[in-house]
Amino acid sequence: MSAEQKSSSLVQGTLHMLILKTLALEPMHGYGVGVRLEQISKGVFKVNAGSLFPALRRLERDGFIAGEWHVTENNRRAKYYALTAQGRATLKRETKDWEQQSAAIARIMSASLGEL
Amino acid sequence: MSALHRFVAGFIALLHRRQADQELDAELREFLDSAIENKMRSGMSRESATRAARMELGSATAVKDHVRDVGWENVLETTWLDVRYAARTLRRSPGFTLVAVLSLALGIGANTAIFSLINTLMLRSLPVSHPEQLVELLSRYPGEPRLSSFSWRHYEHFRDHNQSFSDLLAVSRARFQVAAEGSEPEAIDGEYVTGNFFTALGVQPAVGRVINGQDDQLGSATAASAVVSWSYWTNRLHADPAIVGRAIIVNGTPATVVGVAPQEFFGLQVGVRPSVWLPAAMEPILQKPSRRMDGTLGVGMLGRLRPGITIEQALAEMRVLDRYRLEDFAKTRSAAFARDFTIELEPAAAGFAALRDRFASSLVVLMAMVALLLLIACTNIASMLLARGAARQHEMAVRVSLGAGRVRLVRHVLAESLLLSAMGGLIGIVLAYVGAETLVRIMLSGREFLRMQQRIVVDVQPDLQVLLFTAAVAVGTALLFGAAPAWHAFTSAPASSLRVHGAAAETRSRRLFGKTLVVLQVAFSIVLLSAASLFVHHLSNLRNQDFGFQRASLLLVTLDPSKSGYAREQLFSPYQDLLGRLEEIPGVRSVTVSGVTPISGAGASRFIRVDGFAEAAEARRYVPLNWVGPRYFETFGTPLLAGREFTFADRGRPPVAIVNQAMARHYFGDKSPIGGRFQFVGSSNSGITGAPPDQMYEIVGVVADAKYLDLRETPPRTIYLNAFQESRMPANRLALRTTGRPGAVAGDVRRIVIEGMKMGAVSDLTTMDDLVDASIVPERVIAMLSSFFGGLGASLAALGLYGLLAYTVTRRTNEFGIRMALGAAKSDISRMVLRGALGLICFGFVFGLPLAVLSRRAASRVISDLRVDGMWPLVLATAAMLAIALVAAYVPARRAARVQPVEALRL
Repeated sequence: MSAEQKSSSLVQGTLHMLILKTLALEPMHGYGVGVRLEQISKGVFKVNAGSLFPALRRLERDGFIAGEWHVTENNRRAKYYALTAQGRATLKRETKDWEQQSAAIARIMSASLGEL
Repeated sequence: MSALHRFVAGFIALLHRRQADQELDAELREFLDSAIENKMRSGMSRESATRAARMELGSATAVKDHVRDVGWENVLETTWLDVRYAARTLRRSPGFTLVAVLSLALGIGANTAIFSLINTLMLRSLPVSHPEQLVELLSRYPGEPRLSSFSWRHYEHFRDHNQSFSDLLAVSRARFQVAAEGSEPEAIDGEYVTGNFFTALGVQPAVGRVINGQDDQLGSATAASAVVSWSYWTNRLHADPAIVGRAIIVNGTPATVVGVAPQEFFGLQVGVRPSVWLPAAMEPILQKPSRRMDGTLGVGMLGRLRPGITIEQALAEMRVLDRYRLEDFAKTRSAAFARDFTIELEPAAAGFAALRDRFASSLVVLMAMVALLLLIACTNIASMLLARGAARQHEMAVRVSLGAGRVRLVRHVLAESLLLSAMGGLIGIVLAYVGAETLVRIMLSGREFLRMQQRIVVDVQPDLQVLLFTAAVAVGTALLFGAAPAWHAFTSAPASSLRVHGAAAETRSRRLFGKTLVVLQVAFSIVLLSAASLFVHHLSNLRNQDFGFQRASLLLVTLDPSKSGYAREQLFSPYQDLLGRLEEIPGVRSVTVSGVTPISGAGASRFIRVDGFAEAAEARRYVPLNWVGPRYFETFGTPLLAGREFTFADRGRPPVAIVNQAMARHYFGDKSPIGGRFQFVGSSNSGITGAPPDQMYEIVGVVADAKYLDLRETPPRTIYLNAFQESRMPANRLALRTTGRPGAVAGDVRRIVIEGMKMGAVSDLTTMDDLVDASIVPERVIAMLSSFFGGLGASLAALGLYGLLAYTVTRRTNEFGIRMALGAAKSDISRMVLRGALGLICFGFVFGLPLAVLSRRAASRVISDLRVDGMWPLVLATAAMLAIALVAAYVPARRAARVQPVEALRL
């Protein structure tokens, strides 16, 4: 139970960052975000609707993204999400944190006795 | 920042709930369409693409639930759903709901009522600035209630010499004849206050200004000023702001109204609502001779502690300053008397302590009792909910298997509990309001004993504190009785497990729990019942003891001779005539007059020196005195043991006295006191009018001991003097022994008094029975309420027992059928049920009786004169509980005996 919770919360935190990054490239609707994540990660991340939509709602509630209804290329109405100024700032900060952390983790994981 | 954002967004979503739902639906639809399109683009047929996309999306409802869960507003929504569901569930079982809500209403109502009294009398702060800095000065004489009254000259000494108080103020209560412009004079309650009264309290006037130091200078041009209360201003002065600067007539003297007190300010004593405040400097204008000028004006004192001074520091200083008062006592009375007096300081954030002192202990005991009562109600409802929970196990199991979360189920069950207690609480507040009003009326029926001559109004309207208290009690109650059912909901197994255990998966532990609850109820009820019988016993002891006089058929009439046109020196023959004429009224057996009415809480006492009896100064005790007319002992029914009563013929002869047995025994031992002589010592012969300080009195009679100040005391040594031997008439209370109802002759008495005393008036008319009842109000209140609560608690316990047994009988119908088929008689079956009940009751006794003994010991610590060594209150309580419980058990037992074996087996 607790182990499961831990991993899902890690994914969730990361998911927020990934969504922000995706939307930073261009405003997109829900399905587009999922597809884009799958494309960029070359199929490693598959995000289902049950995680995607709550994440979008949370980001919207926090004021990091804002949704607007637009007509799609197929002439349907869809809600396009775009980053707000606050979201942009958050993404910048989280990217920096992430780079630091992943570099640190990478160093630890590749460490061998001789280097110490 | 984002927290605020979240809150606002949630709030907006709450307002546009439907729109938000529709948008989410549209978004999900669009998601699905895009997915299908995408899959078709990669070569799938429309049909398989649709199926695959649907599978990927999963349950749209579940996704929507997850999205909704993101916002905090969802908690509100689901709670609302829980409450609505709980309401529907409760509506489906109206019987249960009714019983539960009613017992909660009684329990919560009783708690609220008692708390609102405690709040009003003990907790609520005065509407003044920084009430926590206020302290009251109190004086204690051993064995007597604390006194808040000091003399004016002591006030002046304290005021001028203390370093502890930034302000020391004094208040003296009085009744005034007040006439507003163009209206008749009426008697109203008022107070003389010192010039710093309003400013020290920080009370701002609603209109005009308050009394200030200048007004309170003796001989000041503005000494004849008045501040009126808000209610006097609105009721008598038509809320006219232009009243400021105009005059009202106080005791015949005009006083300029300078301001109106704010609406919320009622004075410093809860219960007393003065209508007018006058500067103390006005007292010499209204009263001749002035008691302020001779320093004897009785005042209550309140000080505001200087910043940084603790109450202990202030007390240390006041003890030193109090020597002035004690030396004063030593001079005017005696050193022994002065030695025993002490001064006390008490926090006065809630005002003067008089009402608090009288009722606090009763209220604390009652609060404990109602808390116990509520606990019984809780236990009762818990066991009912548990029985229902067993019946609803199936429903719970189905809901768990349909995917309901355990937390959600618990919330559900708790919502039901909270709804019950909320309804109980609301009805309880109404009950409490009515109950508290009634209680206050009963409590204040003995106002004479608070030594307050004024009308007492205690406002128990529920305020914010009381409502918060009630809400907290209701929620706490709900959590208490809802805990067990909630736990059961939490551990509900899904439906698949039902099939294994069968529908009645009644666990052993649950049955044990139900029994424990009943045992607890019986135990708590025993505590309540034994407390009730203890207090009833206490009251009947007080009432039925030998008072030393006959309380029945005794009419007491207070005269106001100041209106008769006679001076007190001339009253003797008019009084003698009056007594003679009153005796002729049919139905009147004898009439007398006295200066002190027994057990009225007021009296007079002196030190004496008895001829031939050597007594060290420290061993001297005050001897209570009474001035009585001829036939006093005959009228009061106090046996005359030796010698004679007073006569009118004693007037003009050497002074005589009658003493009681206690006095005779102390000073004369086995010898007859008749013919013995004594004199009063100390300089205060002011009460014994016209007698020289060394006047000798000769004892001419001995009477039985009688209560003097109070019903609770042992009769003290008492001296009776002949009122008709004084130089000024010291007695103005008539007592008439009647053959029938005392009230029947009241009309005749009034008429004859008015005829005989010219314009004289009867100022008060009561009976000794009423006086006795009024003097034991706290005991009466506590006996009455504890009986009520005890009965209620026992009934609730009986209801709980009945519920458990009825449920058990239903559950065991099958077993009873088999037993009967195997040859058990009907009486065997019902005996079996009764035996089970008896077992539970006995267990209740085992826990309850020690608890009862402990709790009455605790009660005796709070109520000092309560005797708790008697066995029979416990026996009585046990018997009562047993009787009530057996009645409750009888019904299910009979039903068990009526089980038809054939039908039972078919089940």
